[in-house]
Amino acid sequence: MPRLILRLDHQVLKRYSMGSVVTIGRLPDNTVIIDNPAVSGHHACASLDGEHFIIEDLESTNGTFVNDRRVTRHTLQNGDVVRVGNHTLVFDAEHGRKVDVQEAAERIVSNPGDTVFLDADKHQALLAMLKDAADDGTAAGAPAPSLVGVLRVLEGRTDQPEYRLQAHTSFIGKADTSLVRLKGWFKPDVAVVITRGDQGYTATHMRSGALVNGERLTGRRDLKEGDVLRVGGLTLEFGFSR
Amino acid sequence: MRLQVGARTDTGRVRELNEDVYLLRPEQGLFLVCDGMGGCPSGEVASELAARTIFEHMNALPGTAVTAPGDDYLPQSRRLRRAVERSNQYIYERARAEPRHAGMGSTVVSAWINGQLVSVAHVGDSRAYLWHRSHLERLTRDHSLHEAGIRRNVLVRALGREATVDVELREVAVQPGDYVLLCSDGLTNTVPEASVSSAISRLRDPQRICDYLIDAANQNGGPDNITVVVVEVVGGMWRSMWSHWTRRLSGGDIASAHSAS
Repeated sequence: MPRLILRLDHQVLKRYSMGSVVTIGRLPDNTVIIDNPAVSGHHACASLDGEHFIIEDLESTNGTFVNDRRVTRHTLQNGDVVRVGNHTLVFDAEHGRKVDVQEAAERIVSNPGDTVFLDADKHQALLAMLKDAADDGTAAGAPAPSLVGVLRVLEGRTDQPEYRLQAHTSFIGKADTSLVRLKGWFKPDVAVVITRGDQGYTATHMRSGALVNGERLTGRRDLKEGDVLRVGGLTLEFGFSR
Repeated sequence: MRLQVGARTDTGRVRELNEDVYLLRPEQGLFLVCDGMGGCPSGEVASELAARTIFEHMNALPGTAVTAPGDDYLPQSRRLRRAVERSNQYIYERARAEPRHAGMGSTVVSAWINGQLVSVAHVGDSRAYLWHRSHLERLTRDHSLHEAGIRRNVLVRALGREATVDVELREVAVQPGDYVLLCSDGLTNTVPEASVSSAISRLRDPQRICDYLIDAANQNGGPDNITVVVVEVVGGMWRSMWSHWTRRLSGGDIASAHSAS
């Protein structure tokens, strides 16, 4: 059954299965109720005409827009983005059928050939369809929130028992900006830099000797849970916070 | 830490215009590649504007850029991001003010190298790579539907297309002997990453690497404009002296260059 997906600020608020008539407006007697001053009491109406849904503007104050064009009457196509005030309704005609994603993309992106740009609304509409095609709205495809790394102090005197690697770049050294500060006359300002990427954390050697699991750190090295870093008289264990 | 730089842009074998632009400021450690879109003459205008305004904003911005909530990036990265955001605003307003440029946009990939810390900011499908001891790591994620498994040149983020833009940042630390490579999709769509990596391992000289990669892209059809910027992080004294003299002999540093006609 075709659906309308109600969204505001790139968030899905609700999904409506479409009967033969769907009314959209601010008042409680509508199918899709949008309680917002930018929306008229009875703003628009979508009704089944043969095989197609037709959306009509009900002489609303602020107008009904389909794919950024103001319309009074429009035959809905799969993937159309209907805008009412600040809310958008994505028309998903193919719900329950297997969506050919490539085809959906072709339809949404009306200008094939050269590099083209997909604006935020169309992009969100496409992503919503991709997601629905994959798993009907559950968040299986969403990436797991990335874990934050920590350095636990195993040996040596520091001001904290462990350090969270929250920043994208963290320093170990004598400098004030260091996350883990080394003390002593001959310690370098920056001994090791730990950077955070999509795939995890990387330690890069800067100055003076550092060891990872007993091996000398000379270049860059991706850190794994349980790696032991020895630098400037400290022994630190890398892991992820729970 | 010295930087040795090579760069080249080429129209390719199919297009008539080159809408790619690169900008090199080795004394500042700032490098960028922009790939324009929007058709004649807007694509060229957009990429040129992007490169120029990012550079100008970088110099105009105060030392400490504004911090966003939950911002875990270095001040230098935030400054670069701010410059890219302002550039977006500028191009967006220009495109709205001048109907013939309506819809113009550009990608950008920029690297700001401060000592051993590198900030990479990007929007679109131009990429940055880090080459370290024969291993090539991609530092950017394409903002295109390609990433969603749809093989099409459909960008989901670009400079100048919307009033605000989400700039992606990445930070890495480099060592002497590392290379940072910036390029437009004209390279990455035609030359596999393994060939890029082996070209750096084999050739070592930044300009020779660029020349080789552009030739390789053209041999594979050159369907799009191709731009490559290669920055070598030079360490030891002998290596620095050698690069100093070879640069003197080849006619000095490249300060800035735009798309060749």
